[in-house]
Amino acid sequence: MSKLSRLATVIRAGLRSNFGLATLKHRLFKEKKDRWLVPLFGLAAVGVLPTLYGIVLLIKAAYLMLQPMGQERAILTLGLLAGQLLILLFGIYYIISAFYFSRDLEMLIPLPLRPSEVMISKFAVIMINEYLTVAAVVLPVVITFGVMAKGRVGYWVNTVLVYAALPIIPLAIVSVLVVAMMRFINVSRKKDILILVGSIVLIAASLFLQVGLGQSRGPQANPEAIAAFFTSPDSLLNRVGSKFPPSVWATKAVAGGFSGEGLANLALLLGVSLAFFAGIVVMSEKLFYRGLVGLGETTGKKRRLTRDEMSRRVSSGRRAGAAVFAREWRIMNRTPIFLLNGVLVVIIVPVIFVLMATMGSGKGGSGGGSDLSAILNTMTSTNPLYVILAAALFMTICGSLNGTSSSTFSREGAQFWISRVIPVAPREQAAAKFLHSYLIAMLGVVTASVVAAIILHLKAVHLAAAAGLALVVGVLLTAVGMIIDLARPLLDWTNPQKAIKQNLNVLLALLADIGILTAAFFGVRALIRAKLAANVVMGVLFVGLAAFAALSYRILLKFADKRYPEIET
Amino acid sequence: MPVIELTNVSKSYNRGKVKAVDGLTLTVKPGEIFGFLGPNGAGKTTTIKMLVGLLRPDAGRIVVEGFDVAKDPLKAKQVTTYVPDYPAVYERLTGLEYLNFMGDVYGVPKAERLERIGKWLEIFELAPVVTNPIQSYSHGMKQKIVLTAALLPAPRVMVLDEPLVGLDPRAAHQLKEMFREHCDQGKTLFFSTHIMEVAEKLCDRIGIIHKGRLVACGTMEELQALDKTEQSLEGIFLELTEK
Repeated sequence: MSKLSRLATVIRAGLRSNFGLATLKHRLFKEKKDRWLVPLFGLAAVGVLPTLYGIVLLIKAAYLMLQPMGQERAILTLGLLAGQLLILLFGIYYIISAFYFSRDLEMLIPLPLRPSEVMISKFAVIMINEYLTVAAVVLPVVITFGVMAKGRVGYWVNTVLVYAALPIIPLAIVSVLVVAMMRFINVSRKKDILILVGSIVLIAASLFLQVGLGQSRGPQANPEAIAAFFTSPDSLLNRVGSKFPPSVWATKAVAGGFSGEGLANLALLLGVSLAFFAGIVVMSEKLFYRGLVGLGETTGKKRRLTRDEMSRRVSSGRRAGAAVFAREWRIMNRTPIFLLNGVLVVIIVPVIFVLMATMGSGKGGSGGGSDLSAILNTMTSTNPLYVILAAALFMTICGSLNGTSSSTFSREGAQFWISRVIPVAPREQAAAKFLHSYLIAMLGVVTASVVAAIILHLKAVHLAAAAGLALVVGVLLTAVGMIIDLARPLLDWTNPQKAIKQNLNVLLALLADIGILTAAFFGVRALIRAKLAANVVMGVLFVGLAAFAALSYRILLKFADKRYPEIET
Repeated sequence: MPVIELTNVSKSYNRGKVKAVDGLTLTVKPGEIFGFLGPNGAGKTTTIKMLVGLLRPDAGRIVVEGFDVAKDPLKAKQVTTYVPDYPAVYERLTGLEYLNFMGDVYGVPKAERLERIGKWLEIFELAPVVTNPIQSYSHGMKQKIVLTAALLPAPRVMVLDEPLVGLDPRAAHQLKEMFREHCDQGKTLFFSTHIMEVAEKLCDRIGIIHKGRLVACGTMEELQALDKTEQSLEGIFLELTEK
């Protein structure tokens, strides 16, 4: 077998195992399971269309506004830059987990493959993931721009090439950092800490970049500078892209089409991407496997417990439900990917809101979020209902829109057999899992309440009403997320990342949550239009949501009893 | 009264295209060590998984200690513990936390827990690592912690799928001793194995499954009589599963 076809085989196997194409084909066409997903996805796609249309209108408006000043290409830069930044940020997660924590490495390493071949196959999987991740950001921008600017063949050909090359440079940068770190730091015993630190670095970097880009958004604030800025073509493009030049090359390659400028920039982007790619291939030959030494090993000290210690540590017997809850809690908190996407996200999201609000108030701002709080105060004076609803929505987003509930069964993975054989009723297990997911949602509501109290200066009574509402919605969304996950748990993962970050159920639950919140929005609008008093609207909303919450919880327990025996492991 | 009773149990995959178990009927009596043999893909693991409630039979009835596994699953599970062929356990828990979890869900009183945990940790040489995460255990150690957890409730029925695979000779020997001790107390053990010698020496009765059907079942003497030879179990097995 030639080197190239061997590489193609490894890549193909990687793609197949990662995207479960064979499993999907088997389930859809042989076992004829999961067929209900096809119309559901069609429905979800139709549901997304209005949002997409809104984004396209926004891009169109920005284009029409910037075009007379010769600055319209900045839109492309912004779209491509946002895409590349997303690649960079998601790349940290993807690369650490794919290069170092996926269990198939233990199978690949003993095969007669070069380290670079293994790494390239992993890289290819991440590239596909990235194409899918950034499609929502980049494609509306380049397509709308192309249509508006009446792009010719050159525009569209270059768009395809640029899109194909887009992830390479950011991913190569992350790969270098990660591979070097794995090689030079002894991480065999500190894998978990590495993911945590890497993720915190990721968040810090995202905030740093946001501040950096925020500062580069406009020219200095004096009339001459503004005039000069806007009369020089593409000055905005260059300024936006100054932090990351490949986004400028990509813009010029796309917008320039087959012109000299377009081709030169395309050559530059592809050339640099190729050089970066070659660089990491060479580096992987030297460093990749060395970082993997001790990959699957975690060591622990050997120590025999004394009789007293053993007596203290052997449980005197808690109720089965409590035991299931304790298991959930421990596994979630000790698995970095789960911890980050569950507990930490409900704390971090509100904190990011604080930082954004603080930055938004500008240098001369008299304290964080003063503009926001001024707007809210104005709104409060007219109708406090809006403030309560807005705050409740904020708390709900912080508390419930994460993957904890919608991955709760999937997270058990290959260990689900234990839940199936233990003499604990499925409804009791589901109730314990519900409590766990709901406590995390509550933590998010509490953090968001603190943020709302400090930054937005909400009155205590409004805050309490909002928190009450968010807690009731939390029951509904947690139960719905769990029902979705229970309907088709993803148990055959080898990399914990798949159970929560690449789990379709998390996406489906998110769509369901958006649907529920939209329905609640229309309900409230109808009540307001019926000219009911604010207290009455709140009362009806609260009672209505509480009824749905209770119903969803009951359905969850009944569904657990029905579904558990059906899940074959 | 039999402790385990399978009546006309069938299971197929791929919408009936692949028949894994086909009209299986067998019984296991109290205090018996029952060995379940068969070539790869014969239906052993499918049968065992149906027995412990992990798979639902397409047809037939399974009763454990008088409880119908389909109709009364919790009562059946309360008297049964199971050891799978691959020890997939909660890697992020420590060995002791896992044992505590199993003790809690089976409702094992503290005094009994302490005594049994102490005994089996010593026998399996897990005592020095019981507070370490299971993630740090070798394959054999994981197998041993699953076995310890299965022994913890002192169940009336133990169902084990290839329990000797992955164990070192000392642990395998001790496990076989435990099998005998367990059944001498009137409890029942149902296990699958590929090791003919173990089945021949240890089992009170043996069932041989081939292509989803039970082709022979009985004591070693009964199997030899069936075969009309004085062959070893290996010989009988090879002959019965040839076609």
